[in-house]
Amino acid sequence: MKAAILTDLTKCVGCEACALACKEINDLPRDSANHMLTAYTWSSMEHRNGVNIRRQCMHCEEPACASACPVGALTKTPEGAVIYDGHKCIGCRYCMIACPFGIPKYQWDKPIPVIQKCIFCYEKALKIGEQPACTAACPTGATIFGDREELIAEARRRIAESPAKYQPHIYGLKEAGGTSVLYLSALPFAELGFPANIIEESYPNLTWKVLNKIPGIVTTGTAFLAGLWWIVNRRIKLQEKPDETV
Amino acid sequence: MKFKLPKPSFWLVTLAVIWAAGLFSVIYRFYNGLGAATNLSDAYPWGIWIGFDILIGVALAAGGFAVCATIYIFNLKEYRPIGRPTVLTAFLGYVLVIVALLIDLGKPYNVWHVITMWNHHSVMFEVGWCVMLYTTVLFLEFLPAFFERFRMVFWQDLFHRILIPLVIAGVVLSTLHQSSLGSLYLIVPSKLHPIWYSGMLPVFFFISALAGGLAMVIFESYLSARAFGKGIEQRLLANISRVIGVVLMIYLVLRLQNMIERGSIKYAFDGSRESFFFLIEIILGYITPMILFFNAKVRASKAGLFFAAVLTLFGLVMNRLNVAITGMARSAGVDYLPSWMEVAITLSIIAAGLVLFRLAAKYLPVFPREEKLGDHQPPLVEAGRKGKLVMGLLAGLLVFLLAGFGYSLATQKPNQPAAVPEAARAIAAETLNFPAPITFTPSEDSPGQVTFNHESHVDTSEPNCSSCHAGLFSIRASKAGAVSKSPAIGHDQCGTCHNGEKAFNYEESCDGCHMSSE
Repeated sequence: MKAAILTDLTKCVGCEACALACKEINDLPRDSANHMLTAYTWSSMEHRNGVNIRRQCMHCEEPACASACPVGALTKTPEGAVIYDGHKCIGCRYCMIACPFGIPKYQWDKPIPVIQKCIFCYEKALKIGEQPACTAACPTGATIFGDREELIAEARRRIAESPAKYQPHIYGLKEAGGTSVLYLSALPFAELGFPANIIEESYPNLTWKVLNKIPGIVTTGTAFLAGLWWIVNRRIKLQEKPDETV
Repeated sequence: MKFKLPKPSFWLVTLAVIWAAGLFSVIYRFYNGLGAATNLSDAYPWGIWIGFDILIGVALAAGGFAVCATIYIFNLKEYRPIGRPTVLTAFLGYVLVIVALLIDLGKPYNVWHVITMWNHHSVMFEVGWCVMLYTTVLFLEFLPAFFERFRMVFWQDLFHRILIPLVIAGVVLSTLHQSSLGSLYLIVPSKLHPIWYSGMLPVFFFISALAGGLAMVIFESYLSARAFGKGIEQRLLANISRVIGVVLMIYLVLRLQNMIERGSIKYAFDGSRESFFFLIEIILGYITPMILFFNAKVRASKAGLFFAAVLTLFGLVMNRLNVAITGMARSAGVDYLPSWMEVAITLSIIAAGLVLFRLAAKYLPVFPREEKLGDHQPPLVEAGRKGKLVMGLLAGLLVFLLAGFGYSLATQKPNQPAAVPEAARAIAAETLNFPAPITFTPSEDSPGQVTFNHESHVDTSEPNCSSCHAGLFSIRASKAGAVSKSPAIGHDQCGTCHNGEKAFNYEESCDGCHMSSE
């Protein structure tokens, strides 16, 4: 099973139970606001003109952050979570630049900071076969946990059942090569602050296309330069001693 | 340069002030964190320490590998005089880049992790390795200056033998990471403005670094000539300047062709802040110096070459800052201007570079011996006039920049609010399912069991879990019912609202909550 979360914004009443459960299970400070993601709020609830928008890490199938991290502090687990090892992190913040959804956040207030984001309750729930705290806490079933394929089928079923209610778009199905967190909405996602110009190609592939050429560049480059030096040097030597011309 | 001006004390004071501010900022940054010292934020995780100190620092050092290749691989021995100053510039550049990086990193003491914890899919990993290796190569390439100074013949001879492999390694490593700094931004197609985003970014970064690195040779030679009467033959500089002109032309052709292909050329003239910064970058920083370098009169004049080199460097600086800062502003949704501490540290690092270069030039054989005579001083009158022209132009540009910046801020449109979806709201409230009633285990002296019902406690029109949850009562199912069995604490928790103000006072009525089982 590939773990996933389906959040149906039309069912969300904005009670913030998901955000509160997240803070509780992750021992995050509860006094900080829940309306936007920070290093201390990994699951947020934004109330925008009557729409309640739950935000969290998208847990990409091929995460840009994990490919960007120079020391492999971010990884995608077989279960589907994108997790983070603060002991490896050097604090370069390239993951923050790379993430198309702007998810990894930094502890700007700390002298020795780490990156923070939703980790799908990996250690405390997902790894032992339980669902994450947020979906467990939701009183309306607006955000549910399940197998990615099954949740996609469920999302398709909902759209087909009431096409007037939903945008014909499952956000996360193809975005950034597919994500483990999927969204349904009554309004266009672009109006709800979801990045609209996310490409469907895998983000790591954008840099890998160039990086995988490096061994070739190193070998041919070295050979070319060494050859060039040899030819130039030989010509100079021959010019100095023309008698030895073969 | 600065140091031979009539009042050296003025420059010493300036230097002291900059370094004092820089030192304070470094201590403050490590004591209070990046958030306190900088204007960086989650929306803008990289500022001028990355955009200026690192991207530009590395690019300006590109002269090192280009000149080494010219001298040792193409065997153009006449360029030997510029070898050492260029290698020195490059080496100091990289050392200072590393210093800036250590200040910017959240956990600088973990920087060695790049050596042991590999992620070969990361551009940052590759840049890290190349910078490490190339700094070592530059150090080795500059070592012969020490050996010469202290007459260590054996070592001099040894290094002479390994010089060619070193130079080749330097060229390969430089090609890799100069372009990789551009590759860093390949992963942000949805964040970087289309004027700058392109699959060709690594190529553009490499070519513009080449132009900038060579312009740096002219720049530093002119200043060195003014400062200590040591410099480089005008003829060599003129030849280099012709090369820069060609490099700039290739860059412009590729860049514009790529913009047309990608269809992003239309953004160049749309009057946005991005278009404005782009036009300054391209016209002042690339087209103008290219035309100047192709002009024989300019190439013959020291001050003219210097001016064109300054413009080339300006173009490089603009390009890197545009990629790192201007081009990312729109997707970030906020604006970034560096804090005074970020500026102080950047200035301190630049000042350190100048001081170190001066010390090295003074105590080590950096410049060729025969040019130590004072006859390479450029005519001061001409330089002064051109200098004023440069200052005037730069000041004018600054005013232009600020005006454009203000204009673009003033004309930015607020985000259109989304329409209120009444239907969606109604449907949402219907779907609210409350958790099952929670029965608390009564303590021994309890007057009766308490059962909590969400239905009677939640306003269904506007449910808000946070008024009770996570603070007072655990929200997680596994912990539900974990309210203390001790009556005092149970009353304390329920009594937060059941105090006679928000809801009936628990002291007035026990059987409002405690249901006796009989």
